[in-house]
Amino acid sequence: MFGFSTYEYDSDGFRECGVTGLRIHRSAEDMVKLYGLTAIVALVVGGLFAIAVAMTRWEAIGMLDPGRFYKYLSMHAWNLLIFWMVFMEIAILYVGGPFVLGRRLSLPSLAKVGYGLMLLGAVGVNVAIFVTSAPNNVPLLTSYVPLPSSWQFYLFAIVFLLGAVVAALPFFATIWWERQDNPGKTLPLVAFGAFVTSIIALEALLGGLITYVPTLAWRVGVLESLDPVWYRQMYWIVGHGTQQINLVAMIVIWYFLTHVLAGAEVASQKVSRIAFVMYLFFINLGAAHHLMSDPAVSAGWRLWNTSYSAYGAVVASMIHAFAIPAGLEAGRRAKGKGGGLFGWLWSSPWDDPGYSATILSIVLFGFLGGITGVMMGQMQLNMTWHNTLAVPGHFHATVVLGTTLAFMGLGYYVLRLVFGRDWILKPLARIQPYLYAGAMALVCLMMMYLGVLFGVPRRHPSVMDIPGTEFSFEAAQPFFAVFGVSAVLAIVGGALFALIAVGTLLFGDRFSVDTARVGDVDRAAADGGDEDDAVHEQSMRGTFVLTLVFLATFVVLTALNWYLLSNTWQIGA
Amino acid sequence: MSSPLDDPDGNWWDRKVNRRETIWLGLSAGWAVSLFGWMLGWTEFGDQNNIGQNYEVSPERYQEKVSAYKDAAGTLAVDGEDYLVPDGEDVYVGAFQWGFDGLPVVVRPGETYKVHLGTYDVQHGFSARNESNLSQQISLQMIPGYEWVLEMSWDDPGTYQVVCNEFCGNGHRSMHGTFLVADHDAVETGADAGEGGDGQSEASGPYGGWLTSDETGGAAGNFESVVDETGSSSVTVEVGADGNGGPFAYAPPAVTVDQGTTVTFDWISTGHNVVVEDAPDGSDWSGVESLEGDGYTHEHTFDEPGVYKYYCDPHLRNGMKGVVEVV
Repeated sequence: MFGFSTYEYDSDGFRECGVTGLRIHRSAEDMVKLYGLTAIVALVVGGLFAIAVAMTRWEAIGMLDPGRFYKYLSMHAWNLLIFWMVFMEIAILYVGGPFVLGRRLSLPSLAKVGYGLMLLGAVGVNVAIFVTSAPNNVPLLTSYVPLPSSWQFYLFAIVFLLGAVVAALPFFATIWWERQDNPGKTLPLVAFGAFVTSIIALEALLGGLITYVPTLAWRVGVLESLDPVWYRQMYWIVGHGTQQINLVAMIVIWYFLTHVLAGAEVASQKVSRIAFVMYLFFINLGAAHHLMSDPAVSAGWRLWNTSYSAYGAVVASMIHAFAIPAGLEAGRRAKGKGGGLFGWLWSSPWDDPGYSATILSIVLFGFLGGITGVMMGQMQLNMTWHNTLAVPGHFHATVVLGTTLAFMGLGYYVLRLVFGRDWILKPLARIQPYLYAGAMALVCLMMMYLGVLFGVPRRHPSVMDIPGTEFSFEAAQPFFAVFGVSAVLAIVGGALFALIAVGTLLFGDRFSVDTARVGDVDRAAADGGDEDDAVHEQSMRGTFVLTLVFLATFVVLTALNWYLLSNTWQIGA
Repeated sequence: MSSPLDDPDGNWWDRKVNRRETIWLGLSAGWAVSLFGWMLGWTEFGDQNNIGQNYEVSPERYQEKVSAYKDAAGTLAVDGEDYLVPDGEDVYVGAFQWGFDGLPVVVRPGETYKVHLGTYDVQHGFSARNESNLSQQISLQMIPGYEWVLEMSWDDPGTYQVVCNEFCGNGHRSMHGTFLVADHDAVETGADAGEGGDGQSEASGPYGGWLTSDETGGAAGNFESVVDETGSSSVTVEVGADGNGGPFAYAPPAVTVDQGTTVTFDWISTGHNVVVEDAPDGSDWSGVESLEGDGYTHEHTFDEPGVYKYYCDPHLRNGMKGVVEVV
């Protein structure tokens, strides 16, 4: 399938990757290509709508009228937050399972059925949103009951979710058969992380079905009414659950790419695996941090829930925040790439877009995405963040600067190692992650300032021109200008990735590990050696300094936000 | 060394953990506990807590409560705008497509009020800020079927601007209201307030009180007198002109025309329709049922003499009503 690849398989359908050493079967690889390419198509479609959305919110341009704004916003959200993410994540499951374990993909026909359903659902949702007319409303992302969308929208959303569940089954089957064939072995960390990802995915997807099936029934009149509070709680199981899939998939990629490209090792298998398991237990009720400023949900339950997530999922993330740079530091020091406090970092291959995208993803996800997420999940702080532009500021930091950037980094290496093609426009490829990350970071910062410092609402096309009143958010105009310009640059950066990816597939030179160097460490030395070459004995002082800086930033930003809250008027008993 | 791509050999569980990693685990756990403790503590020593009584109340019933509140409220004119003066410590806000019923309201600085939040139809967002300090801002969700009562008090006098920040349909962007925090002289409130000099008498205006009474919808506050357009060959009524606390008016709200005159209804803002409440026998006018926007026009030639009463469906409660009288 797919003539774009330059690699050949043996008579059993396997090939060995000269860079990672992985033994790859074509049943898995064909599916990785199919899902991965479809993900890129969704990325491009969603990115096109991003232009319209950003250039409308930058009211100096004011591209769309309000009616079309809400529609284009819905298209942007569904194509990027759901379709780009989930298609890519199924591909990542097939890498984390069959590729890493050197096995065929089990139940490959289900992978094709799942793909068909997902494609049908994705196209169906796109069309349903685009042709929406009265009395239906566009769904945005959340389709909050009782504002109705078309029944076709709910139906195709259900079809997509079902397809994703079906597509995940071959991964589970592969893991199952691995355990049957090798009962004594432990899954490699990347496969273990992928396994945790898939369980969280199942929970999220089933939550989505529990949400959308009754909603469809309500929309067609089978159910007389649907409690909007129940809907919000159920919706956010899939709404936030899908973000947790993004998070764990991103972390799996961080471990994978820092290892392959820069010689990172696992600082502690035990600690990293515990962190993955913590995600499993603590994410389930984490959805409720979307309900912090809701009526009908008791304070006790909100406080318990948002701290349950704080205890569990945030600590798990902070564990990986140490473990991944620590693994990079220890691995590189052991290979002679250390030197002083940060020599291991400065010497790493910054001109490799797969690597730079990964590191930028780690840093920006942590500082911009993670910190803001925890802050606005605090019950009272939520009042100053809820439904302001700071909320998209946060999730563009997590899903774009974090997950999308990591997926781009992986994409660069899928081009080389799955399709066997080297990047076209190499100088542009080298700078693309920096351009995209830098511009997008500014976009996120501006959205956060606009939301928290000015209270600019999200999901609103015209805050400079509110009918029936002189009042407007004019004071915020300079921040919108920076937002607008940065958004244009970020979109250029994203388009550049798409251009390089598609161009490489069509016109890229054949990539061979004999002719091109991947990363800057000798892989033979990386995987040999004694397990007891104790990784824990390598110094991790550089990482420790970085994480302390992160914690200090966390503390200061949290304090500033609580201070800002204390300046508003008195609310609550 | 330990690769994330290989299965770890041997007893990886019991391997030592780097000292600094262990310290970091302790710091992370301590920070998580601090975050929790601070939130909990703030409910005791902090002044901003999104905690209040909740009631399950149908949207219809909530609207009745807001109406009763408005009936008992007094009126204070400030800079040409009429503000409700709450009768007591309760303030009601009812969000609807597309406005905030109950606003504008004036409250006294330093006093504690019970603010009731609810919606008449779909989910809305109560997003309020101090006009002269935009970072003094909070948002609270309003969900149909639920009434949320939060105590609030304001120390900083001034005008506070309210917008909706939950997508609620086409008119979402036009949802706006204000409240004023200011000291003022005592204003009469309670059961007597309704009969005060604010012109809300029952059925005592022209056309059976259609425009001046709030028996059906709100009173059309923008009505002053009937505009005489007899002799004009073409007459225009603006739909969605400013009035009644927002773009909620027909301008002019009452007009007399000759038989056979073509009246053009010209939309100048979005989210309005023209629903015919009453028309003379033999009239074939059906108004405009769908919600239309800026730039939409509707023409009708009025042949049958008599009084045609009409209103805008979503803004009836604001008082968006009109009359065409054909003589």
